[in-house]
Amino acid sequence: MRWTLLGLATIGALVSSVVLGPAAVPLGDLFRSDIVWNLRAPRALLAFLVGGSLGVAGASLQALVRNPLADPFLLGLSGGAGLGAVVAIALHIPGPWALPIAAFVGALAALGLVYRMGLIGGAGGALDPRILLLGGVAVGAFAAAITTAIVSLADAAELRNAFLWLWGGLSAASWDSVLLVALYAPIPLIVLFAASRPLDLLALGEEPAGYLGADVAAVKRRVYLAASLLTAAAVAVSGVIGFVGLVVPHIARLAWGHHHRALLPAAFLGGGALLAIADTVARTVVAPRELPVGVVTALIGVPVFTLLLRRWTVA
Amino acid sequence: MRRLLFAVLILAACRPDGRTAGRQAQRIVSLLPSFTELLFAIGAGDRVVGRTTWCDYPPAALSIPSVGDGMPPNIEAVAARKPDLVVLYNSGPNVTAAQQLERIGIRTVLLALNRLEDLGPAARTLGRLTGLEKRADSLAMAMDSLLHQPPPTSSTSTSLAFVVWDNPPIIIGRGSYLDQLAALAGARNVFADVTAPSAQVSLETIAARNPEWIAVLSDSAAPPSFARRREWRAVRAVREERFLLLPGSLFGRPGPRSGQAVRELRALLERNGVGAQHAAPLHDRSRR
Repeated sequence: MRWTLLGLATIGALVSSVVLGPAAVPLGDLFRSDIVWNLRAPRALLAFLVGGSLGVAGASLQALVRNPLADPFLLGLSGGAGLGAVVAIALHIPGPWALPIAAFVGALAALGLVYRMGLIGGAGGALDPRILLLGGVAVGAFAAAITTAIVSLADAAELRNAFLWLWGGLSAASWDSVLLVALYAPIPLIVLFAASRPLDLLALGEEPAGYLGADVAAVKRRVYLAASLLTAAAVAVSGVIGFVGLVVPHIARLAWGHHHRALLPAAFLGGGALLAIADTVARTVVAPRELPVGVVTALIGVPVFTLLLRRWTVA
Repeated sequence: MRRLLFAVLILAACRPDGRTAGRQAQRIVSLLPSFTELLFAIGAGDRVVGRTTWCDYPPAALSIPSVGDGMPPNIEAVAARKPDLVVLYNSGPNVTAAQQLERIGIRTVLLALNRLEDLGPAARTLGRLTGLEKRADSLAMAMDSLLHQPPPTSSTSTSLAFVVWDNPPIIIGRGSYLDQLAALAGARNVFADVTAPSAQVSLETIAARNPEWIAVLSDSAAPPSFARRREWRAVRAVREERFLLLPGSLFGRPGPRSGQAVRELRALLERNGVGAQHAAPLHDRSRR
């Protein structure tokens, strides 16, 4: 029942985001229209892949650091990506892919730094989740400070737009970016899905998980790196889209419980469906203008979350 | 009694104003390129003792010391020029800056300058403050006449979209100066229904509205980098490389050269053939 509903929601989200849009395309021309084929379809697919990736990354990180507030971007990645993007603009690095690549590199740098900090705290190559959280916030703040310094010192008027890009959303979707994500994302996704069982055990606490046969240190490293690499790719193609990675895992947990074997696929489909629907709303509701998609994910996600929370806690 | 008190208060409030208005500004810091251009145009260029890094016209302005980018103004750098008048663009941060300058005894004036119709009043105010009313008046009249000139008599109207940023796509709407320039040059802004000066739109809206030209403020002769992005190729004008690359110094700001900007934009549109498919594109396709 739950899976049927989720499946229907996913299909509905994908179909509506291809059929609906600010430009009027007659249903009969749907498959011949350049707008549908080259703009809407890749954008719908990219929204689905990015939303799904953020959902899974959020669910895994929440389990890893055992903190319900964990969010894929919390661990310094958005700060690093923003710094990368601003540096690319300030140095006038040419090329249509300069910004995404620079953001990806920035996110990777932040990831490496936080990972290194996390290893300092834990004994014997184990990551300390508390240090991951603190280190993530600290690295993010540090990167944001450098970003602000560059923006206020450099003479380029377009730097302001780096922030727009960072909060941009999915307008850069093309078959190129879909292909890129479709080739890249499955690797960290498989690593995370494969870690379902150890993640379940981790919820009991690190020591009990160890007694029950999980290689805790290795699982934590794998999950942290895979979730962060997934998020870094999402930032590179669509900027920082908030909320999906925070609330979708909680919604999925309310409906599917704490077993990651079901939770992670549900978070993937749910995150993908939410972002595809949110982007369709963002494109159409104030047409010809467009809303930032992060606004819509929050406007849809919070009420759904509140409703579910009420239903499940009352029941 | 109360009325009398009120009158006294008003008189008291007016007096310092009345006194300073009579004094002609001799050392002026201009914190907007448009103001610098206006000051030079009314003959007060030799009294400008400070400018922003963006003030690049007329060339003589470049020899004036810069006080920074002016966003927000660096109060100490401005004060160090010992001005008796600072001209600021009327915006939130600048209001605070003006208050601080007034507090240290420097007279300020905040002027709105967003659209063509703001040019006449701005020129007149600057004329009054510098005692150059006559030249300011004739400039203001020329600026006002721009607004009332008949639209060009071309049979076909070219359409364009101003793209100021590509991701997310941000375009210029009806509320802006650039929209006015396009209308006066005989082009139709396909986003004239957007009342805001600028707005984020979907790429598919740009593709569906199918402007003949994509206008971009750019000082470079090369097409913008988004021209090479695959998703932008869904827009016909991008596919056909029909870009209008407008230098920011001339087109990006309302000023004494707005008339020239209209004429140049019109010439550009006519040269590249309104509706003429075989006209040479502005950019060599082989560059791609």
